[in-house]
Amino acid sequence: MRHRILSVLGYAMAAATLLVALLVPFKLMGGIASLVSHAGLRIDPVYSGGTPLRTIARNGYTLTIYTLVRPHLLQRGEPFQQVVFAPVSALPTHVEESIDMDGDGTPDLRVVFDVPANPATPLRASVQALNGNYQSLAAVSNDSFTRLLARTGNRIVLRVPLAKSN
Amino acid sequence: MCGVGRSILFTLPMALWTLLMFTPGLLKPGRVEHAAAALTAAFTVGLFFCMIRTGQTYRWRRIFFVALGWLFPVGFIAALIGLRGSMSIPLERMVSGDTPFCFMVTPMLIIPAALTRTVVFPGSILPTPSNPHSIAAMIGLWLAMTLVLGKAWCAYGCFFGGIEEGFAAMAKRPRLRKLDERLRLIPWAVLLAVVLLSAAIFEPVYCMWLCPFKAVTEFPAVRDLQTAIQFGVFVLLFAGLVVVLPFLTKKRTQCGFFCPFGAFQSLFNKINIFEIRFDHNKCTDCGVCRASCPTMAITAESVGQGQALMNCMKCGACVDSCRKGAAVWHIKGTAVGLRPERARLLFLYGAWAMATMFGGSVIANSLATMIHFVLPR
Repeated sequence: MRHRILSVLGYAMAAATLLVALLVPFKLMGGIASLVSHAGLRIDPVYSGGTPLRTIARNGYTLTIYTLVRPHLLQRGEPFQQVVFAPVSALPTHVEESIDMDGDGTPDLRVVFDVPANPATPLRASVQALNGNYQSLAAVSNDSFTRLLARTGNRIVLRVPLAKSN
Repeated sequence: MCGVGRSILFTLPMALWTLLMFTPGLLKPGRVEHAAAALTAAFTVGLFFCMIRTGQTYRWRRIFFVALGWLFPVGFIAALIGLRGSMSIPLERMVSGDTPFCFMVTPMLIIPAALTRTVVFPGSILPTPSNPHSIAAMIGLWLAMTLVLGKAWCAYGCFFGGIEEGFAAMAKRPRLRKLDERLRLIPWAVLLAVVLLSAAIFEPVYCMWLCPFKAVTEFPAVRDLQTAIQFGVFVLLFAGLVVVLPFLTKKRTQCGFFCPFGAFQSLFNKINIFEIRFDHNKCTDCGVCRASCPTMAITAESVGQGQALMNCMKCGACVDSCRKGAAVWHIKGTAVGLRPERARLLFLYGAWAMATMFGGSVIANSLATMIHFVLPR
């Protein structure tokens, strides 16, 4: 009797597996994907740059300041903060900006870079720290996740590392 | 062997499923896309018919699987070059979440996601115009297919395994015959190491340093010594584990002796209802099944215990090679060897449906790319 029950259960499970297979492209795959997307997961900030903190309006373009990103205990890299210049199409060919990163009313960084017409041309910026909170960078380009100046679509992403003492 | 009429009858449901799966491809504009979809549909249905007609699984599945493995990089590389002109992914693309998600990363994401709700991969959770291979969609696809296939993913679903299976098939005989059985434990060690290291340093360690298939798909752009070393490691591992060793051993050496994702998939064999068993009444302990297994998932002890090890990917090599009919397809809970063909058929319907759905679209896209390359628009 036990063998018979196990056998029936086995075939029922096999049939259920087949049913699951038929549901994969129509319901199951999308259902699981929807669950994953609603699980509250986010891309690690070292890759994504953190979350937008505030936006500063300029003449036709904006600067979006992001939250400070501190790598986890053993994660490579150094703490940094991201600024996004967008849209690239509204930026002047030569950008010189004094940026108040922490929102205290005084500028923390002076950033200078050119915006070449060809999107494939690598960008290079000079970043001067105006106080002890950030590091000055002579010619930052696409060096690492924490020291970066790069064009991504219609925006320019700048990542400046915090001073070692922070 | 099954009669032609019965074989056609058993193939009919799969033919209908294939038609359903390829309808979007057949509706795409362009003759080339139509031709590629029709060819692939005929190819997959034809192989399924051969499986039913001959009662053999391994050699027909291998044709499909090798085609998938060898064609996948063609379509993938062509898409990358069309998108950004190179196989390498620059830092700015990673920063904007444009890295296509690969299922291999999955085990490395679990601990960081559980601890911090972050995903340690430079992709995007939801699809974007520049990255349709989002994390949510790919995890949805992988988990759904895994529920059906278990570890059989590695023989019917993985778009990498076919590359080395192709190289393994090229040699007539193995040049290296004596392989230590303990080699099959290495993937578990690699899995443990990459999962713990990824959780510690918040980086997908296997993808950054150890994945052989980066050499034929996409890799971080070489811009300094570290990225140059990474690229060198990818190429060396690909040459060694995917090309040379499979040719010398006629085994899937990367899958059997290295791949941490394969080890991870083995865990799902525990919940999958299909398995390979050995009938003690028929087994003569000749060792043919052990020699035929591409991933060394059969040992003398496991035959003695009547079943393949948990890393069995249900490719069918042992069943097809056993002349005594001792190696059989089996549904857990049922009597061993009572109706093995029924178990095989039930397994094959699910497995081939998944293979057609996922691998079929990959093959059709790559075929279309190749035809466009030969006959420019």
